Amino acid sequence: MEEKELDLTGRLMADMNPQLLEFLQTKVNTFVKWDLVRFFHDNPHTTDTANNIARYAGRGVETIHVELAELARDGVLEKNQLGDMTVYSLAPDRHIRDLLEQFVKASDDRQFRVKAIYHIIRGTR
Amino acid sequence: MERVKTGVPGLDEMLWGGFLPQTANLIEGAPGTGKTTLGMQFIYHGIVACGEPGLILTFEEFPQQYYNNAASFGWDFRQMEREEKLRVVMTSPEVSRADLEQVGGQIEKLVQEIGAKRILVDSLSHFERLSEDAVHLRSIVYGFVNALKRESLTSVLTRENMALLGESERAEDAVAFLVDSYTLLRYVEIESAVRKAILVLKMRGSNHDKGIRQFEITSRGVEVRAPFEGREGIMSGSPRRMVDSFVEAFVRR
Repeated sequence: MEEKELDLTGRLMADMNPQLLEFLQTKVNTFVKWDLVRFFHDNPHTTDTANNIARYAGRGVETIHVELAELARDGVLEKNQLGDMTVYSLAPDRHIRDLLEQFVKASDDRQFRVKAIYHIIRGTR
Repeated sequence: MERVKTGVPGLDEMLWGGFLPQTANLIEGAPGTGKTTLGMQFIYHGIVACGEPGLILTFEEFPQQYYNNAASFGWDFRQMEREEKLRVVMTSPEVSRADLEQVGGQIEKLVQEIGAKRILVDSLSHFERLSEDAVHLRSIVYGFVNALKRESLTSVLTRENMALLGESERAEDAVAFLVDSYTLLRYVEIESAVRKAILVLKMRGSNHDKGIRQFEITSRGVEVRAPFEGREGIMSGSPRRMVDSFVEAFVRR
């Protein structure tokens, strides 16, 4: 019975744009990443160090360090060397930027947020 | 001589027509005096009246804050960004400095992308955390200012001054020597009311108005008004009527 309910919930929660679902499951799969992609969406020209991005996001650098690196690995962000500093910026890839735009717009909808939160929690289990 | 108009009514007259092209112009004042508003007005005027796209480099406020502040004056910065006439870039002094030092950095690309002619750097005060050594700091700011000039930009650089009223003390003010013009915004108390004063302290390569004028932030932005008259000691923050000084100096003796 419990398994059936879970299955129903899973199917209900999977009822979203497949591209966004994949984006969520493979790229923005933690709450910290969600914060970070939102930050870069709002500040598309920002290039900065993990320390400064942590400050802007109101997080500790140790919290976001791995997430930034993973977002860069997954092509959402770009990681570059500027002198002796490692800096991150939003990837110029048009497809990624369009997905991010769609994701942020969709996040304004409560139903979408509930589903997105469900998938992130499921993914982190 | 060609001038870069700020678009601030009254200030361009004080500057004898505006800033000189490709110069670095420091605007210093206490919190809330209107430094950022003046800087945004300079950028806005460049875009709408002079066809000169602009960049805003912010080291503290989020771009959203600029969009909101600008909107309160009827300036649609978001639309200007969409039209590729403006870029609001949130970054840090250390990254922007390193970025400008390299060839083909992000700032250089943005300048070329939109053909920027003007830049607002808000604020230069954040460079102070890069070095406690005054000589080193001067060298950092010198390099930064020159990089902006290299990009053919006319810049407005804001700087915070924590003295709300009266004279501030800066032990070794190297930045004032590095910039081409230096404008001070001050609060002054007159008859139990706080007003704002503006003074152009320095303008390299040009004459300028030496008077201290009143200014206000209206729904249209900063507007510079008439000089303070019949008062002295304006920049002390608590001006006195000249007649009172005269009475004290000569009559009460």
